[in-house]
Amino acid sequence: MRQNATSAALGLGLALCCAVGAASAQAGSAGALSVTVRDRDGKPVGDVAVYALPSASDTGSAPTGAPPPTAIMDQYDKAFVPHILVVQTGTQVAFPNHDSVSHHVYSFSPAKSFELGLYKGSAHPPLTFDESGVVILGCNIHDNMLGYIFVVDTPYFAKTDETGHATIDALPPGGYTVRIWTPRARDGELPDDVSIDVPAQSDRRLDFELEGKLYPPHEDGKSNLSWSRY
Amino acid sequence: MVALLTRCALLCSLLCGATLAAAPDARQQWDLTLDLGLTAASTPLRAWPEGGFGKLRYDGRETPWSAERLLLDYRAHLADTLVAHAVLDYVDDASPRLGVTESYIEWRPIPSSRNIQRWRFGAFYPPMSLENSGPGWSTPLSTSSSAINSWLGDEIRAFGAEWSVHRRLFAAGSPHRLGAAAAVFYGNDPAGTLLFWRGWSVHDRQTRLNDTLPLPPSPVFGPSGSVVDLQPQALRPFTETDHRPGFYAAIDWRYAHKVSVQLSAYDNRALPESFADGQWGWRTRFAQLAAQIALPGEFGLITQWLSGRTDWIIATTPAGLMTPASRLVNDRFDAAFVVLTRRLSDAQRISLRYDDFSYARPAESPELRADEGDAWTLSYRADRGRRLSIAAEWLVIRSARDLWQTFYGLPRSERERRLRLRFVLRLATRSGTP
Repeated sequence: MRQNATSAALGLGLALCCAVGAASAQAGSAGALSVTVRDRDGKPVGDVAVYALPSASDTGSAPTGAPPPTAIMDQYDKAFVPHILVVQTGTQVAFPNHDSVSHHVYSFSPAKSFELGLYKGSAHPPLTFDESGVVILGCNIHDNMLGYIFVVDTPYFAKTDETGHATIDALPPGGYTVRIWTPRARDGELPDDVSIDVPAQSDRRLDFELEGKLYPPHEDGKSNLSWSRY
Repeated sequence: MVALLTRCALLCSLLCGATLAAAPDARQQWDLTLDLGLTAASTPLRAWPEGGFGKLRYDGRETPWSAERLLLDYRAHLADTLVAHAVLDYVDDASPRLGVTESYIEWRPIPSSRNIQRWRFGAFYPPMSLENSGPGWSTPLSTSSSAINSWLGDEIRAFGAEWSVHRRLFAAGSPHRLGAAAAVFYGNDPAGTLLFWRGWSVHDRQTRLNDTLPLPPSPVFGPSGSVVDLQPQALRPFTETDHRPGFYAAIDWRYAHKVSVQLSAYDNRALPESFADGQWGWRTRFAQLAAQIALPGEFGLITQWLSGRTDWIIATTPAGLMTPASRLVNDRFDAAFVVLTRRLSDAQRISLRYDDFSYARPAESPELRADEGDAWTLSYRADRGRRLSIAAEWLVIRSARDLWQTFYGLPRSERERRLRLRFVLRLATRSGTP
């Protein structure tokens, strides 16, 4: 049951990510960018942020001014859901707590330093993330809780699924710098940026390989070392 | 001093009680649990809580039924970063029956870097057991704790301040976590006394802050005029005898939820000739190494090793100062255990533990091997709904004690066996904040 709730919340988070990405995109002559991320053994890597920054010189594909909708960083089963939330600069993020226990969410990251005092439910108003970068989330009650809000300067982003695939839809024609990010990569071991040109009404494919050894995915206390379960 | 500290600790408990009424629900958590036991024992020795030589908590002589523990584990947030924690214990084999095993305030400042710092003030267990991770320092793996942790529950507690820090190494997403803890404390000067007189034990009782423990019969607690006649045949292990603070320090490393390794050292820095409030100081220090590993197939393993020394010097008699002082105890103690556990289903777990222990006197002593032995513990636990757990445990302890032979002419070796059924009733639970 709990797992269902977690999956549902994860689905909601993913849907919102896609919604944020798609909502600001322009329709019409847009193309799609399909990305695959694999590790050095060729295995697909999920939960990797993929984003396309319009080239500075190419004003034609600059993001439109509509504010992105509020994104959700939920808390279920003593875990942040989704584990990684990608948002555009200026997005408001709400932090509802759907656990039976209270949380005390904080971040000391330079991109957004904040603290949401002990709470359950939706006690705190959403926060605006107006600086790009990685915002690492923790809970001061549950030291093992770890989550990320990855703030990017573009509405064109997506996250890889468990097959390592991500698609950024509705990319207006123009030049882009495509980057990926995952907290599982060690310092300095993310692949180089890739510059692409998206012609009108055409799709592009890109493959990324994470060459360094990756950290294992974060576990939220689900292990046979947590003796509380028999 | 320690009386003052005990009072402070009890005050903390009262504070917790007051917040129970005042704090919003989200800011508190409690577990009220009743443990009932049905024991069948086979031992020629009287149980140690009855003042006997035995290593068992219950020998089943009076009644097979026991109310082993009524436990209230209570936490409340006094402020966002301030948590009060108290553990109230009711047991049927100690007087008074109600007591407090831990009572402290924890300060959890909001981290401003990857270093996560915590402070504890009050009376608490040193963070030295990977086995006793349940509510009220119980072990969820079995009914009884290992010999090491049974002893820590008997005689070790800190009245003081602890600082700890941990951080993820390399990067936030790294599975490596390194931690350290250090504490300064008062009031644990007689630690080691019970280990000498009773030896190691395997049980589930924890000494409450105001408890007086019986010591086995001994000539030294005899009629007036005996060397240590100053001390009654009773131990209060959390007494301060010399106003010298003790310390402990620990470091630990974790790899995700798969591996945990901890190294720690404890020294009560008691003057071994000090005497106050009817209790002697025993200079006791030990080091220990513990590890916990998740294995494939729902198996898990915990192992712990402890090695230490204790000193006791008789410098005072009822007649006055004794010259020269007599170094009665200059002993070494060692213990280790390994427990292999497996989750059978969502509601069942089985665990097998092997304990090995020894307490050795100096080579010239006639009772060189004061206590030497091992124990096997096989435990099965099953949850029946949210309110009830049923556990069965088979325990056999083999021990050899020169002290028995030297002082009492008793057989040197004994084997104690015990089968216990245990019913754990969760009477009330609130999980506001864990």
